[in-house]
Formats: sequence, structure tokens, C-alpha cells
Amino acid sequence: MNHLTPDELLDAVEGTLDPDRLGHLASCELCAREVASLASVLSEARQVEMPEPSPLFWDHLSARIRTAVRAESQPGGGWERWLRWPVLLPIGALALIVFALTTALPRQGMPAEQAIAGSASADVALSDDGWMLVADLVGEIDWETAGAAGVVVRPGTADQAALELNAQEQKELSRLIKAELERVKS
Amino acid sequence: MADGSAIRTWSTTPPTEWVVKVVNPDRDDAALVAESVAGHRDAFDVIVERHRRTVYQVCYRFVGNHEDASDLTQEAFVRAWRGLKNFKGHSALSTWLYRIAVNVCLNRVSAKAPITDPIETGDTFEDTRSEDARTTMLREERAVAVRKAIAALPKKQRATLILRTYHDMSHQQIADVLGSSVGAVKANFFHALGNLKKTLGSEP
Repeated sequence: MNHLTPDELLDAVEGTLDPDRLGHLASCELCAREVASLASVLSEARQVEMPEPSPLFWDHLSARIRTAVRAESQPGGGWERWLRWPVLLPIGALALIVFALTTALPRQGMPAEQAIAGSASADVALSDDGWMLVADLVGEIDWETAGAAGVVVRPGTADQAALELNAQEQKELSRLIKAELERVKS
Repeated sequence: MADGSAIRTWSTTPPTEWVVKVVNPDRDDAALVAESVAGHRDAFDVIVERHRRTVYQVCYRFVGNHEDASDLTQEAFVRAWRGLKNFKGHSALSTWLYRIAVNVCLNRVSAKAPITDPIETGDTFEDTRSEDARTTMLREERAVAVRKAIAALPKKQRATLILRTYHDMSHQQIADVLGSSVGAVKANFFHALGNLKKTLGSEP
């Protein structure tokens, strides 16, 4: 006996079974029982109503959506707001300074005197233009903006290295930076 | 002016970037979409008013509670707003919104198990003249069981069952919304009914 396929069972439940197959359905108790049970489940599912929200709900929902869409519409409301010069410039400057300091500072494990001497020669590696750029950018940095952008001090950065310098090394670093900035200004 | 003698004048014309327009709520969806894309947010408000109930109902059927359904409805409309310029009008706006709503729901339900609202007996008026309280209670319990069984269905089966049973969509329309074939829709619907039968059959 050629029973109804799943497709045909569904068609029978929905009342669209091919007339040629109706004869089988009428004579096959197994298929008829299957169709009846599926139809019963569907009928039960249809009877489950959705609780109607209060009339005020719809206005509230519309207001929520309107607010969300307005917020979405504001220029630069998304990640694009970070692609603006007032934000990018300080971040770029900060990155440049971190790079300059990390290349100029003495490395761990070097004797202090040698390190200071080394750093004095290392700063030569930065061209006048480089120092000029750093000096210009230092004055422009908005630290709050940089912090908000996620620029943070991580172990190994120049900031930490500076904190780990002893008093003599810090003094020497300060003197070198001041001297270089004055030289650039003059 | 620095001396404070300036005479303030107020322009009667709005700034040029403002788009002030009274949107005719009787306009068809295509016109409203075009106006929305052109920057008339009021036109999008009309779209929201027109389709919010349908979108909300889809979301509610998926998650079974008002709070999550509201969140999902909002998310669906925000996504629609973002993607409106890409809507080419190949399908009806309602179909497109259905698709967004279903996708939002499918993404959500995969990350969060649905929590159905409890039966609210205090706020709703129930006419019990034709049936006793026990019958009413049994009927409500059964409704909760059906909701839970639907919520436990695999995602595609649930989406298909909801669109077919509660939104009277044809198999072809469901296929358009879900981006699948009519055959797949029918198979999902058949399996959804079979799973419901199995779950509800084991219910006391």
C-alpha cells in the first residue's frame, strides 16, 4: 500500500491533497489517523492567542523606536565618530610619543651610566623634524579623549618604563627632553 | 555685539538641514520608503505605525513575553532604518520587515532561552458564564504547554510554524521570508507539527 508522504500528509491537513490521493486517505486508517492527529495539534496551536497589550503600549513602543532611530540617525552616532581628526590626531600623537620614548629610553639590564650615555646617543636617531613633530603634538593631546578611545598604559610601555627609572635616570631623561625641546624651539 | 546693544532677530525659516514635511499617512509603502531614504524620518514613523503590530506579534510568538518582544521589535525597526536604502522593492515592504524581524528573533533565540509570560489572571476579564473555573484553568494551562512546546522547537521549525499558523502566510511567502525553498518550508512545518504532537502528547 502506498501511504501518504509527509508532503501529502501536510497537504491533507491543510485541505490541499491531490484528489487522486483522497481515495487512499479514505481507505487507509493509518494515514487517516496521522492526518487527524496533526490537524488536532495544528488546531490547538491556532487557539493559543497572544495577550493583547494595553492601548498605551503601542504609543510607548513607537516612542521607543523613534528615539532609537533618531539616535541612530545622528551623524557619527556609531563607530564612525572615532574617524575624526580631533580624535585621530591625539591618538596618533600619543602613539608617536610612545614609540619615540621606547626607542630612546635605556633598556633593562644595562648599567645606568651606560644606559644614559646610550640614550643620549639614541636621541640623535630622532631627526629634528621628528622632535618638532613630537613637540607640536604634545601640546595638542587631549588625554581624556585618548583615554576614552581606549589608549591605556600597558606593561612594557614607555610610561611604565619611565616609572621604573631611578631618580638619577629620571632626572637625566627630563634634562634630555627639555634640552631637545629648547633646541628645537630656538 | 560686545556692547550688548544687538537686536536679536529670529528667522522664520528653519535651517536648511532640517527636513520639515507633513507626511500623508495614506501614502503607500513604496512612497514612504522613498521619503524615508530621502531623509524624512516622519515617513519612517508612519511605516512603524503601520507595521509595528505585525512585527511585534512575530517577535512575541518567538519569545513569549512582552519585554523581550518589545526589545526585538525595536531592534528590527532600527535594522530596517539602517538597511532601508538597500531595500529595492522586489518584495513587499511587509515581507522585508517580516524577514528582518524573523532574523532578529532567530539570532536572539539562539543566544537566549525563551521565557514565556506567566498566565495573567488578575488583569484580564474572563467570561466564565459558559464554563466553570476549572475548565478555564485547564484551558489556560494547556495554552501555556503549547507555548512552551512551540518555544522548544528548532529555530527554523518555530519560524515556519509561527508564520504559517499565526500570520496565515503561504508556503511561498514563508520561503521568501526565510530565504529557503517551498519544499524546505513544508518539511519544516511537517516536522514542527510532528514535534508538537510528540511533546504535547506526553503532557499530562
